[in-house]
Amino acid sequence: MKNIIVYGADWCPDCHRSRKFLDENNILYTYLDIDSDKSIKAEMLSLTDNKNIIPTIVLSNGQILQEPSNQVLAQALNDFKSVEPDNEVIDLVIIGAGPASLTTAIYTTRENIKTIIFEKAVIGGLAAVTDLIDNYPGFEDGISGLDLADKLEKQAKRFGAQIEFNTVQKIKLLSNNDKKIYTENGIYIARAVLIATGTDYKKINVLGEKEYLSRGVHYCATCDGAFYKDKEIAVVGGGNSAVQETIFLTKFATKIHLLVRSKIKASQVLQKKLQSFIDSGQVVVHLQTNIVSILGDNQLVNKILIKQDNIEEELPVDGVFIFVGLKPNSEFLNDSSIELDQLKFIKTNDNLLTSMNGVFAAGDIRSGSTMQIASAVGEGATAALRIRQYLEEI
Amino acid sequence: MVKNVTVFTTNQCAYCHMVKKYLDNKNIKYDEVNLDNQPNRRQEAISLSGGMTVPVTLVTQHDDSRHVVVGFNLSSLVPLLA
Repeated sequence: MKNIIVYGADWCPDCHRSRKFLDENNILYTYLDIDSDKSIKAEMLSLTDNKNIIPTIVLSNGQILQEPSNQVLAQALNDFKSVEPDNEVIDLVIIGAGPASLTTAIYTTRENIKTIIFEKAVIGGLAAVTDLIDNYPGFEDGISGLDLADKLEKQAKRFGAQIEFNTVQKIKLLSNNDKKIYTENGIYIARAVLIATGTDYKKINVLGEKEYLSRGVHYCATCDGAFYKDKEIAVVGGGNSAVQETIFLTKFATKIHLLVRSKIKASQVLQKKLQSFIDSGQVVVHLQTNIVSILGDNQLVNKILIKQDNIEEELPVDGVFIFVGLKPNSEFLNDSSIELDQLKFIKTNDNLLTSMNGVFAAGDIRSGSTMQIASAVGEGATAALRIRQYLEEI
Repeated sequence: MVKNVTVFTTNQCAYCHMVKKYLDNKNIKYDEVNLDNQPNRRQEAISLSGGMTVPVTLVTQHDDSRHVVVGFNLSSLVPLLA
C-alpha cells in the first residue's frame, strides 16, 4: 500500500497538529523528520520547488500540501483517501444502514460472514426520521423510528456487524468476480455487495424551495418541527408520510394547511387520525392544490403562493414541510453497469441479484419494492440467504 | 484544541442522535441543549445556524474561536474536533 508521507520537525507545532489529526482519524502515514538527515530535507525541497515549509504532506495520489489547516487536509483526504486496506477481501459489504441492510447483517454475521456496512447519514435510514411507525409487526402500540433503528443497530452489532460512516462512490466488477468499492475512505474489495441505500424525500422544484432551505423549508418534521411551536405552517403531499408528519406537527403548530395535489392517498387509519384535527380546525386540507412558490423576507419564509382551480392565492405561513414522494439513492450507480429502471431504482431478479454478478439489492432502492419497513426487513433476510448461497458457490 | 462542544437537539431528531452517538463513541464531552425541554433557547440555535433546524453543533476552541456545524456533517465536524 502506498503511504502518505509527512515531512516535519519535532519543534514544529503545525506538524504535531497535522500528525495528531491523521492519528485521530486512523490514517496511516510515514513521518520523516527533516532535521534527522540532510537527504530528507533535500528530498522534501525537491518535491516542493524549494519551498521550505513544514509540514509538507504528500498524499498517495501525489498531491502535495504545505502547512495545510485541518480543514484543508480533511478535504484533500476526502477527495482522495489513501486508506486503502491491504487488499483484505471482505465477504460482504452492505451499502446503506436502513432496516433491509441491518436485517441482512443480523443474518450474515450470525453465520460468521464478515460484514461491513457503509452509511453516509443516519443509521436506520428514512425509518429513523419517522416519528411513529404504527404498522411494523410486534409493536402493538407502534414504535418511534429512532427506537426501531436503535434496536436493529444493536442487534446487528451484537453479532459482530461493523458500521462505518462512509460514502460509496462507485462499484466495479473485477475479473475474478470480486467487487472493488471506491469510497471516501479508500478502496475496499468484497466478494459480495448488497445495495440497500433506500430513498429520500423528493424536492418540488418551486421558487423559494432552495433559497429558504432550513429557513422555512423542511423535509424532516422530527428534526425541525419544534421550531414551529404556536406558528402556522403548510405541509405539502397527500401520501402516508405527509399525513403522518402532519399529525406529528400538530404537537407544535397552531394551524396546518395540508396541500394535496389531487386527493389524500394515505391509509384509512392515518386519514381517520387526521380527521380529528380537521374537525378541531387545527388542520385545513386544500385538495387539488399546487404550491407555486415559497416567499419570504430574504431571511425567513412568511407566505406561500398556492393555486387551486387556476386561481392563485397567497397563504401566510411561517414554514413549509415537504413530503411529496421518494427518490432512489442511486446516484453513485449512474456510471456503473448495474441496471436501473426508468425511475433509477435498481432492477433485480427473483433472487434479488442485480445485473452485476454478486451484487444484490434489497429494500426501497429495489425496483418493484413496496416501500414498507416490514417488506424491507423481509427482503433483507432473503438477500442474506441468497448471498450466503452465492458465497458458497463461488 | 477543543474547549467545549454544545449540541442543540430535539427529542426525536435522528440526525441529532447521530451527532451525539459520534461524540460519545469518540469520548468527546459535550453539553446538550434539548429544544423540546428548553424552547426558550430556540432563538440561540437559530442565531448560530441561521436556520430553523437541528442538530446544531457549536465547537469552541481554546482560543475562543467558535465554529458551527449544522446537521450530521462529519466532514465539517471531524476537523474541528481534531
